[in-house]
Amino acid sequence: MFMFIVRRVLQAIPVLFMVSLVTFIMIRSAPGGPFDEDRAVPPEVIKNLNERYHLDDPLWKQFLDYIANVVQGDLGPSFKYPSHTVNDLIAAGLPATLELSFYALIFALVTGLTAGIIASLKTNSMQDYIPMSAAMVGICMPTFVLGPILLLVFGIWLDWLPVAGWGEIPGDKILPSITLGSVYAAYIARISRGGMLDILSQDYIRTARAKGLSTSRIVFVHALRGGITPVISFLGPAIAGLLAGSFVVESIFQIPGLGRFYVTAAFNRDYTMILGCTIFFAFLIILFNLLADIVLVWLNPKLRQELEARG
Amino acid sequence: MTSEALLSVENLRVVFNTRNGQTVAVEDLSFSINRGDVLGIVGESGSGKSVACYSLLGLIPMPPGKIESGRALFNGQDLLSLPENEMRKIRAHKIAMIFQDPMTCLNPYMRIADQLMEVLLVHTAINKQQARAKAIEVLVEVGIQNAAERIDQYPHQFSGGMRQRVMIAMALLAEPELLIADEPTTALDVTVQAQILSLIKNLQRKRQLTVIFITHDLGVAAQMANHVLVMEKGKLVEQGDTQSIFKNPTQPYTKKLLSAVLTTAKPASEHSVDYKRPPLLEVKDLEVGFPAYTGTLFQRIKSVVKGVDHVSINLYEGEVLGLVGESGSGKSTLGRSIIRLIDSQAGEIVFNGKDLSTITGESLKNARREFQMIFQDPYASLNPRMTVFDTLAEPLLVHGLANKSTVLEQVNQLMDDVGLDRRFIRKYPHEFSGGQRQRIAIARAIALKPKLIIADEPVSALDVTIRAQILALLLKLTQKHKLTMLFISHDMSVVRYLCDRIVVMQKGKVVEEGITESLFAAPQQSYTQQLLAAIPKL
Amino acid sequence: MSEVIKIPELSQLEKGRSLTQDALARLRKNRMAMLGLYFLLALIVIALLTPWIAPYSYEEQNLELGASPPSAQHWLGTDILGRDQLTRIMYGSRISLAVGFIATAVALTIGVLWGAIAGFVGGRTDAVMMRIVDALYALPFTIFIILLTVVFGSSLLLLFLAIGAVEWLTMARIVRGQVLAIKRQEFVEAAISMGLSPARIVSRHLIPNVLGPVIVYTTLTIPSVILLESFLSFLGLGIQPPASSWGSLIASGVEVMEEYVWLLFFPGLILTITLFSLNFLGDGLRDALDPRASRD
Repeated sequence: MFMFIVRRVLQAIPVLFMVSLVTFIMIRSAPGGPFDEDRAVPPEVIKNLNERYHLDDPLWKQFLDYIANVVQGDLGPSFKYPSHTVNDLIAAGLPATLELSFYALIFALVTGLTAGIIASLKTNSMQDYIPMSAAMVGICMPTFVLGPILLLVFGIWLDWLPVAGWGEIPGDKILPSITLGSVYAAYIARISRGGMLDILSQDYIRTARAKGLSTSRIVFVHALRGGITPVISFLGPAIAGLLAGSFVVESIFQIPGLGRFYVTAAFNRDYTMILGCTIFFAFLIILFNLLADIVLVWLNPKLRQELEARG
Repeated sequence: MTSEALLSVENLRVVFNTRNGQTVAVEDLSFSINRGDVLGIVGESGSGKSVACYSLLGLIPMPPGKIESGRALFNGQDLLSLPENEMRKIRAHKIAMIFQDPMTCLNPYMRIADQLMEVLLVHTAINKQQARAKAIEVLVEVGIQNAAERIDQYPHQFSGGMRQRVMIAMALLAEPELLIADEPTTALDVTVQAQILSLIKNLQRKRQLTVIFITHDLGVAAQMANHVLVMEKGKLVEQGDTQSIFKNPTQPYTKKLLSAVLTTAKPASEHSVDYKRPPLLEVKDLEVGFPAYTGTLFQRIKSVVKGVDHVSINLYEGEVLGLVGESGSGKSTLGRSIIRLIDSQAGEIVFNGKDLSTITGESLKNARREFQMIFQDPYASLNPRMTVFDTLAEPLLVHGLANKSTVLEQVNQLMDDVGLDRRFIRKYPHEFSGGQRQRIAIARAIALKPKLIIADEPVSALDVTIRAQILALLLKLTQKHKLTMLFISHDMSVVRYLCDRIVVMQKGKVVEEGITESLFAAPQQSYTQQLLAAIPKL
Repeated sequence: MSEVIKIPELSQLEKGRSLTQDALARLRKNRMAMLGLYFLLALIVIALLTPWIAPYSYEEQNLELGASPPSAQHWLGTDILGRDQLTRIMYGSRISLAVGFIATAVALTIGVLWGAIAGFVGGRTDAVMMRIVDALYALPFTIFIILLTVVFGSSLLLLFLAIGAVEWLTMARIVRGQVLAIKRQEFVEAAISMGLSPARIVSRHLIPNVLGPVIVYTTLTIPSVILLESFLSFLGLGIQPPASSWGSLIASGVEVMEEYVWLLFFPGLILTITLFSLNFLGDGLRDALDPRASRD
């Protein structure tokens, strides 16, 4: 198991390197420099800035310098806000984004799994149709339509919940979390229903029934572990999606998170910020995919033992 | 019937409501079984034998299934009217079941110990230590060695036969009064089947168990049961004690079943083979290995497993050679490598004087005309998107054996040859039954008039009466067209019916070969003797 | 697939029902899927004819009118510049649908080729190609597309290529899985042992049997592509003014939703219904083509 984790971590390194390289090349080949502004900047100022950020060095040297810094955990200074480093900006935005994604994920897992499992036990009944229709709505209603509607209905017309902010007024975290999580709740509901139906039709579930076990024991002891396997493999991509979705949700609900910083950086052509954030996001996503893989192996006795046998 | 009856079923009717309307799975079925008896329920697929027994324990999926009427008195209690929570107390505790495929019937995510102990913990008031001790005791009883250690393993660490033993232990753990065994040995190799059958028989005697034994195999029923019940299409055909049913069947369907078994029990093959001429096919020292990836999704470890290990066989023109072995014997691998579906690593395949093992490209394509294959699964061996006409016309047109004006007549001839109605040639494979599909596959194989046909278990997916028809067809065709055939099978009785000579394989090697009748009369090797002894006899 | 060659006597015989015919019959019975199909067909026709049938011109402003709720003159109301919203949504659907279909076509081409080659060739090639797909799966693609739009400026062509280039991964996996599964089927072995040419085996035995899942997944890729484009346009990184897609209409609707809710409601509604239709149609096709497979 330990070797498996080490191997997977080692496999992630070239991927991260490629991400950095491609991102770096793309950014540097972009038309227009970071200091292009409406008012003319004196050439000597540009020269100073270029020197300060080593923009005059050959491209490969800039890249290697950059990578050397990244490996040490330093993503460099922001071009747009020279007094801040990218690390500072990420540190400032990350807590809100992570918290938002976390709540959204919990919401998605709780509602999605509940709906999916109930639907799988009561196929072709109202307990199946209603959650599955709701899941279809969830999948087809984009975050940027659902968010404003929720905001309008619960924040403005009914005035039950705050419309903006993060951690300022009690309850201001509810609407953004639900907005961000609903799509994934819908996917998880569908995937867990499918996974459970697949397992419930297995021969060993018939064996469990022939043993006179109660429905709850059959579902929770015998079926659940296999049934949620596809949900766990979905979690890796889901977390990538949650991070991207946070861009929209943070801008709708005016949350000072990393997603908003990223979109702002994209508009401002804040190269180091974009580069840093992209590498950081890639790192997060690879990390969560790895975690999902580990859980999958750990849940499957056959895979687990094969790995243990090999050390 | 009598007051001693442990279970008596009256007028059971089970239906399934599907998208295409209602199908009756069991119609007006009545039977009873006395304490200590073994009742064999015999029938082909679709006879309703399993559904009838599953519905007694409420194990059919409802909906779409529905028990429309009937009673099933077990110790005076009507099982069919029991609410689910009462039924649970019956399952495993009073009536236990074992199923067909031991590979899929145990939960792969749970240790054997937990799956066994669960039965006791749910049904009896004992603690975990006691349950574990009891479970180990029963595992020992069903013949699991090192039970105290193996109980903590997962199902994938057991072989098929061992898993079926675990299933039996699980069924017997709570000391049920009635055991329902649903085709418990069908998925197993014949020698393992013999072991499991004798285990069940011994346990039944020792524990005075009452057993319902569901099987499609009349030989197995004869060996296990003292009463037999024959079912066809959901209905009871006849019942009575085993001896009289099998000796003096009164119903035509029972007679048909019995004759289907009996035809294969005695040799029928008469091919004129000239053994003095050089063989048509000479396999010399053939070796076929597979790269085995023992790793997981994440890492693969490559090693080579020898599927066929230095095998030499000869096949003479006009001869039907039986290639017999259990799973893992390499018999199918040998068949596929002869017609170059799999590449061999060493040795020669001399066919008609040419070595096939090394040719490639155009010469291989031309050589392929001369040998064809018939596969086991008639559902997988026909392209589902081509009509029968397209399937049969394709090889003829590709090899230039027919043109636009003659192809229809040739296809019609083939249809006649395999006993299919000419009017059906525009239909698609899914519109035919399994037996008809196998006929189409046979027609495709003989279309090119090949010199050699490899038939890989062509009848083992078929019901016994259909099997007899297909075997008769193959016999007729081999005689009529003087076909040379390598007939691969795990079933000794089928081979005996069709083949002139037999080669027995085990673990990639040839164990014994000989003329069919002398091999049956006096098998030389102990493995062949075991195989022959394992055939359940009527 | 039709007959190898046409033979007149054949046509007198009773015809069989092919799997495709069965599937279509099943699809026709699925009301939601058929509703989705009709809606999509209507939408496509309207989008194609927009320059001729739109009630107003795209740029026509009416500053005196300003934002007005739905009325007899303006069925879906007007925006703050007094432009007819129905007209703007109609022009927006041209862009959204074009991105949806063309980017999906790009994804389909790359995915099918990649997956088919990996599946056919197998062995080492397959392992390497699929390892690349696995690695790409771990990338933050939405972020990558944002990056591309930042670097190259956003244009329709870029959107087609960029979105297409990220959506092909799953298609490649599906095609490879299908090809491998079909390749192992005995009817393909039978075709090989009959000495058929590889081209014939591929065209008559493999492709017809791989097609179903590809069609289903294509239908399900279109909505996710449309969604991605709308997402980018919503953030202001996709379609640039004066052109507009559903996403940018929604974005401008959100800004004024407190006063003029119809400017958010209608573009949101049309986008949602379109996604619904495509998903229902995709699910319906899946059920029809493989009756045993459950939903998801």
